[in-house]
Amino acid sequence: MRRRVFLMSLASAASCRSAPVRLNVFNWSTYIAPETLDHFERETGIRVRYAVYESNEEMLARVLSGNSGWDVVFPSHYCLAPMRRQGLLAPLRHEWLPHLDQLEAEFRKPAWDPELGWCVPYLWGGTGILHHRKLSPAPDSWASMWEARMARRITMLNDPAEVLGAALKKLGYSVNASEEAHLRQAQREALAQKPLLRAYLNAEVLDQVVAGDVVAAQAWSSAAQQAMDESAELRFVYPAEGFPLYADNAVVLRESRRAEAAHRFIDYLLRPEVAALNHRTARSASCIRLPEELKRNCVLYPAAEVLARGEWWTTPPAAVQRLRDRLWTEILSG
Amino acid sequence: MRTIRTIFLAPSALAMLLLVAAPMGIVLIYSFLSRGVYGGIEWPLTLENWRRLADPLYLHILARTIALAAAATALCLVLGFPLALFISRAGPRKNLYLYLVILPFWTSFLVRTYAWMFLLRETGVINVVLMGLGLIREPLGMLYTPGAVLVGLVYGHLPFMVLPLYAALERLDRSLLEAAADLGARPWQAALRVLVPLAAPGIRAGSVLVFIPCLGAYLTPDLLGGSKTVMAGNLIQNQFTQARDWPFGSAAALALMAIILTLLVAWVRREKEPLL
Amino acid sequence: MRRMLALYAAGVYLFLHLPLAILALFSFNASRFTVWEGFSLRWYRAALSDRQLIEAAANSLVIGLAATAIATAAGTLGAYALWKRRSRWMAAALHVSLVTPEIVTGISLLAFYQWVFRFGGLRLGMHTVIGAHVAFCLVFVVLVVMARLRTLDPALEEAAMDLGASEWRAFREVTLPWLWPGITAAALLAFTLSFDDYVVTSLVAGVDSETLPMVIYAMAKRGVSPVVNAVSTLIATGLGVLILVSERLRSA
Repeated sequence: MRRRVFLMSLASAASCRSAPVRLNVFNWSTYIAPETLDHFERETGIRVRYAVYESNEEMLARVLSGNSGWDVVFPSHYCLAPMRRQGLLAPLRHEWLPHLDQLEAEFRKPAWDPELGWCVPYLWGGTGILHHRKLSPAPDSWASMWEARMARRITMLNDPAEVLGAALKKLGYSVNASEEAHLRQAQREALAQKPLLRAYLNAEVLDQVVAGDVVAAQAWSSAAQQAMDESAELRFVYPAEGFPLYADNAVVLRESRRAEAAHRFIDYLLRPEVAALNHRTARSASCIRLPEELKRNCVLYPAAEVLARGEWWTTPPAAVQRLRDRLWTEILSG
Repeated sequence: MRTIRTIFLAPSALAMLLLVAAPMGIVLIYSFLSRGVYGGIEWPLTLENWRRLADPLYLHILARTIALAAAATALCLVLGFPLALFISRAGPRKNLYLYLVILPFWTSFLVRTYAWMFLLRETGVINVVLMGLGLIREPLGMLYTPGAVLVGLVYGHLPFMVLPLYAALERLDRSLLEAAADLGARPWQAALRVLVPLAAPGIRAGSVLVFIPCLGAYLTPDLLGGSKTVMAGNLIQNQFTQARDWPFGSAAALALMAIILTLLVAWVRREKEPLL
Repeated sequence: MRRMLALYAAGVYLFLHLPLAILALFSFNASRFTVWEGFSLRWYRAALSDRQLIEAAANSLVIGLAATAIATAAGTLGAYALWKRRSRWMAAALHVSLVTPEIVTGISLLAFYQWVFRFGGLRLGMHTVIGAHVAFCLVFVVLVVMARLRTLDPALEEAAMDLGASEWRAFREVTLPWLWPGITAAALLAFTLSFDDYVVTSLVAGVDSETLPMVIYAMAKRGVSPVVNAVSTLIATGLGVLILVSERLRSA
């Protein structure tokens, strides 16, 4: 009898903690200014449960089942079409997004969602090489990540598209190459590189780079900027052969039962003063007044000719996606 | 006589059915299904997953898993035997020494694995001390190697080897060693020819208690091996998360279970005293 | 020989305890890096003011207590039933549960839960984690209680029933009091296993059930923050104190 009362009180205690209106947001790590959540909660009274992930695949693995419990997630733009095809997204109601016009011109009709019916662009950037200043000669191309002199002190991203993309660029192909022969060639390059690598890590590697354990890492520009904020020894370079560009977008999941609260959150992120807080370490898709020193920041605001070498990811067809996933498992297992 | 026993057995039986048997059944079925384009399970029944497992790439992972587990077991045995011997002869302070062996086990496994990350990093304690003493000029790359994984495995499982060894050695008749000495054997000869065979049940028990968990290790190769020292546990976890290939992951999990269950059956057949 | 053995044993004890001691030592380091810069409690302050950490710890506690309660109750009764009369199926299932690697337990439960959830509007959450923890704790409870039961003479219960007690009364007044030390030991073991679990929990946890090991793992993956040292030391000390207290109670 006492046992039953004990168990019931435990259950009620657990459910009591979730009584106020709660919004569950799943975002990339270190992708939001810490104050933003507090300000949002204070203004709207909606408590935000905020968790982070390190890769699109990690997010998709949770969300694919259709009952993950998340309301707002931030997929990269090339994941949107697959998510739509799987029926995971809820259509956006523009009447609940008054600040939609705050988006930069180029993101008002993005190629992946011209009507903005499913997503709202959030932050964007490119992939490059984060390295220590003392490395000389400094790495300036993807090919430098295959050099033996940095053996075991370099990392690549834990992302199938990025690793294969870097190899493809090194071979001279597009990051969106879809021919099996080219992809297999890229896989062979990646396998040749593996003994030189310390590990495959995403944003987790930042602390190790700052500490000096890692001298060069394939990194996303937003992550790189944060590392550079912490240590003056670091530099970031967009490789000479070309590099991929990505944009992370806010979406509302179809399974979410708090669509309105989700829209309010996304709208909140679009506000200029809120976007301004986030843009310190990532390039915002919203319009913000740029402070002078940021205009000269070549990580987040590279020169036009550098940006011209960038290539936006495209969603691969199903067969290519399957092939990429399989090649990646083989790379990890090899 | 029957009713109370059935009622008492019911909760456990239900738990075993729902939480052990049924999940394994689902995994078995999934291993014959196909993967959707982006993940998920789809109908066409297929043997493709099992065929993929036979690929040398994955057999290599299995071989590496068995090799690392065997090496860890052997190291635990070599390291743990003298310690167990010492404790069994320690007299009144036996319990204290036993306690000191078990104590690390009671702290979190995750914490203990992280402790080794902290020690082995390029800017970690070991390298800082060695460089400070002038013994090396460049930091040693110890983390993210198979060696680091081995150290982690041994560190995590040593208590499981020491305890059964101690139990076997404690029951040993001391006079047998004295007899060997009387017959002219030197201490290490006596140890090898008398102690080890008599402690064999303890050696077997300890080996099983270390080998099987090491086969299924996931955290140690993940944190200490980077994504580079891939063991069976890492492959399975990757298929169920990042790679979203549940059918293939199910096949891999069942292959691992098959090996482990074979060992279990061989063990149970041999031991006269059952666990349960 | 004896002195060599003692020296060797000291070395192994050092190997076993030094890593944790160093971890604890550097949790008081004022600097982020591995150079000692003075004594400081800043990492502890950071850990204790981290809202996510506190919530995760609370979750771990709730899950641990619930799973321990259920597993201990079910396991004790089950062990008693098995002691009275062996059941080959149960013994087989328990053996399998004992040797199953955590990763396999985790993925099998994930697959099972997601398959079941198709028939209801359910999702992963605290209840799935508690269920998973019961799954792997149960066999340990049965083992520990069974070990205790084996030291009991079955004739005692028979004597009680000869004197007119019902089966239930015999259990309650003869066997159960003898079992308490075993039950507490089993509960303690179950709690430790549940509180410390990462692998199974990370697979079956839902939005609301992030546990302390999950938070520590994410921080450990990043590699360098001494906050992990501080949290680790707190956990290790907490569990150590728990063990000590239980040992005292047991021998009292």
